[in-house]
Amino acid sequence: MKYKNNWSRRRFLQSLALGITGLASPSFIYAGSQKVLTKPIPSSNERIPVIGLGSSRTFNVGNDPLALDNVAEVMSHFFNAGGKLIDSSPMYGSSQPAIGYGLKKLAKTKEVFSADKVWTWDTGRGPAQMEQSRKYWQVDSFDLMQVHNLVAWQEHLKTLYRMKQQGKIRYVGISTSHGRRHDELEEIMKTQPLDFIQCSYNILDREAEQRLLPLAKQRGIAVIINRPFQRGDLIDELEGKPLPAWAKTIGCDTWPQFLLKFIVSHPTVTCAIPATSQVEHVKENMNACVGHLPDQAMRKRMINYVENII
Amino acid sequence: MRELMDKLASYSLSDFILFSEPVYYRLFELYNLAIWPLQLLAIFFAFLMFVMLWKKPVWAGRLIAGILVVSWVWVAWAFLHERFYQVHVVANWYAFGFLLQAVLLTWYGVIKNQFILLEENKSRISIGLKLLFIFLILYPFITVLTGRSWLQFEMFALAPDPTVLVTLVILWISKVTPVFYIIPIAWLLISGVTLMVM
Repeated sequence: MKYKNNWSRRRFLQSLALGITGLASPSFIYAGSQKVLTKPIPSSNERIPVIGLGSSRTFNVGNDPLALDNVAEVMSHFFNAGGKLIDSSPMYGSSQPAIGYGLKKLAKTKEVFSADKVWTWDTGRGPAQMEQSRKYWQVDSFDLMQVHNLVAWQEHLKTLYRMKQQGKIRYVGISTSHGRRHDELEEIMKTQPLDFIQCSYNILDREAEQRLLPLAKQRGIAVIINRPFQRGDLIDELEGKPLPAWAKTIGCDTWPQFLLKFIVSHPTVTCAIPATSQVEHVKENMNACVGHLPDQAMRKRMINYVENII
Repeated sequence: MRELMDKLASYSLSDFILFSEPVYYRLFELYNLAIWPLQLLAIFFAFLMFVMLWKKPVWAGRLIAGILVVSWVWVAWAFLHERFYQVHVVANWYAFGFLLQAVLLTWYGVIKNQFILLEENKSRISIGLKLLFIFLILYPFITVLTGRSWLQFEMFALAPDPTVLVTLVILWISKVTPVFYIIPIAWLLISGVTLMVM
């Protein structure tokens, strides 16, 4: 209850400030000469680019030197295009050391917005696991630490709040995916002072719009969207099908851009984290970070178009 | 316990296969390069098994069991633990299963010398020998036939799938209790699902 009361007062004032200053709307930062779309984290007003980088499967490459260099190459294009947030988990095999390899090679350990997770049912092991993750990433500390898929969340969140107070992490979050356990996540969002949640949302699977996203808006919680392409299935289904001519009016030349812009144009979504192991794909994805975002009417048009051709 | 099972049930199969197909097969390529020339020893093992099944000396069962034990232990350590575990967090459990099977084979085949061929069942022996030829000799060529790099080949005694398949054939043409089939069949299910999902 203590958390809840403190949270309400603090968040109310922050939400008021956001509303007055219009900070919640998308804004830009520059990557070279290119403007990159950003959105604020409600609990701090810090802005992050609307496209991040996931690492599930794609960065799990073991100690294969060629594949590690490829990961670094993907990360290099991500950073060059203005990307900042990279997300991982101890569940993703060797993804964390691969990210650490890339960050060190590119000298980006200070610039990255590092988002990782704690994933163990043995809550006593949580701190040691997070410390191991930090060593893998080769960063001084994590920006965001999330409880992976609600695993033992009661105990892990206590640890994360303590770490935040001690300055070991900057933000606390919790993640789920594939629409799992939304009811439980909703209850957690109502009672816990979270900075971030992470969930799945895309143009065909819009369940999060019903309760999670409105609640996140009400509670001032940043939202990271995972699996924006349904693990590639959505792109496979749309491959060979024509983009509508009007896609150009929102700056979309490819399906990944179209799908990502749909996601990050939701007013409550802070960023999406597509994962890829291919340089061409990361370039495509980061193109969704520039230009205009569709408005509400255009979002409806996008949904209708995709639902009609699939 | 029930709560843990409910939570586990909230995952799908693909949530546990968090590596891609190229990464999986590249593991074999790097592994084959790293362990060369052990492939020659594996070929010798295959040759030795055929000689034992043809000549049938009194210690044939014990020698075949010994070859299987060495193969299961090697795959557990050198591939599952040292390589596969890098990309698959449960691979050490697989390695444990392989070691358990090696213990069973040691006790029954090497120590008790109970690997006895079903001599009276000629058709089973004939089919078994043909299957052994496929899994011992032809299996490594699947890599090339499926368009992958030839360096990604999988051989008996070095890679899990052919080692398990050869073991199952040996068990099938011998007098053994069903308990010996549990781990090999479990592995085939795991491997099949992995190949399907990744």
